[in-house]
Amino acid sequence: MSVSPTALLWARIRAAGPLRVPASTTTPDGVLRLAEPGSEEVWLLPLVPEPAGPGVLGELELAGPAVEQPNDTARVLAACLRCCWRSADGSPWPGSAAPWSAVTAVFRSLTDREPGAFHRASLAAVRRLHNAGWVLWDEPAATVRLGPRVAAWSAADLSVLRELWRRTPPPPPLPAEDSPPAEEGS
Amino acid sequence: MSDGVPMPRPFEAALAELSERHRDEVLTAFAALEHAAEPVHEAQLLALRDATLRRSLQTLLRLLGRTLVPAGTNLWTSGYRDDVTTALTGEGWHPLPVADRAVLVLVLVHSVAIPRSQGALAGDSWTSAHPTSVEELTRYSLLPRTEVRAALARLRAAGLVQLVIERGRGPGATYVPGPQLHRLTPAARRRLQEELVLAAGPDTPLAAAIRARRTRHEEES
Repeated sequence: MSVSPTALLWARIRAAGPLRVPASTTTPDGVLRLAEPGSEEVWLLPLVPEPAGPGVLGELELAGPAVEQPNDTARVLAACLRCCWRSADGSPWPGSAAPWSAVTAVFRSLTDREPGAFHRASLAAVRRLHNAGWVLWDEPAATVRLGPRVAAWSAADLSVLRELWRRTPPPPPLPAEDSPPAEEGS
Repeated sequence: MSDGVPMPRPFEAALAELSERHRDEVLTAFAALEHAAEPVHEAQLLALRDATLRRSLQTLLRLLGRTLVPAGTNLWTSGYRDDVTTALTGEGWHPLPVADRAVLVLVLVHSVAIPRSQGALAGDSWTSAHPTSVEELTRYSLLPRTEVRAALARLRAAGLVQLVIERGRGPGATYVPGPQLHRLTPAARRRLQEELVLAAGPDTPLAAAIRARRTRHEEES
């Protein structure tokens, strides 16, 4: 018996995270397609109704997957959001690219570490977020963008995140030569 | 996903005939099985206790490439359907880098296969309390220490290995298989066991029996 394209695609995304495929790829129902700015590709994410999402675990008092250094990871994500979500009135996806130096400047304002520990903590957190699809970290170019998973946040999540965005200190103004690559809009 | 959006097609198809209350029960059980770190007890979820709702839950999971997996007395989790695993890996696709697979196999050999062969571990589970040291992983993987460390970080994040915190133990981290190993179906557990036998003792009578059984199975299907 052959396996349905829906089953195969959902399993693939479960195993590897959001998939980046050519825009011409046909996708079964129940999958969110997000255009990757400046390319002929799209990201695929499963559409899970909120009552079937991970938010339910708290109500059931069940633990979700453990995240290492959860405070640092959350703060670096908050710093990425502050830098890449240029207008919090709109959608965070696709946002715009921000220099890594701007993200670390915001993270520094949220934490108090000696330089070595700060450097290790910020790198470990952004790697973790990149591997999970929450941010897209271009290490050689030293820039960060929000990852496709942010497009799956619900209206209720976004309302909380907008408040967080407003309370987080903004990144310092950039010198002209450090301007981020192409503004992507929202 | 914003509020008020219709239920995505696979969910609608699986739950169409249920009342609203039963839909909620199935969706809650789906969330618990798919997102919880450990298997869940059926006492906590009606859709696991009730046979009719459990069938709807299984229908939903199967539409999405998953299946219910019993993980002990009255405990359940979810895992990949065996035919889905076969289809994906048959195309040569694998989500883990080769270094991560090498490190994971070494943890499974030291924490499960060796203790089981010594009679220290019963059953066919691939979870274990027998720790594997990072020193063993570095020695036997033949990978640079930094690569082993990076692989362990990714495997920890994926729940495939777990760091053992032992007070009073000497220096050096140790690992056991992570909670995701509960998600292996009975067939997947057997395949893993067989692959290790074929790799570790290809000339043994047990390996010959495994090869013969697989050939017979292929001819029959």
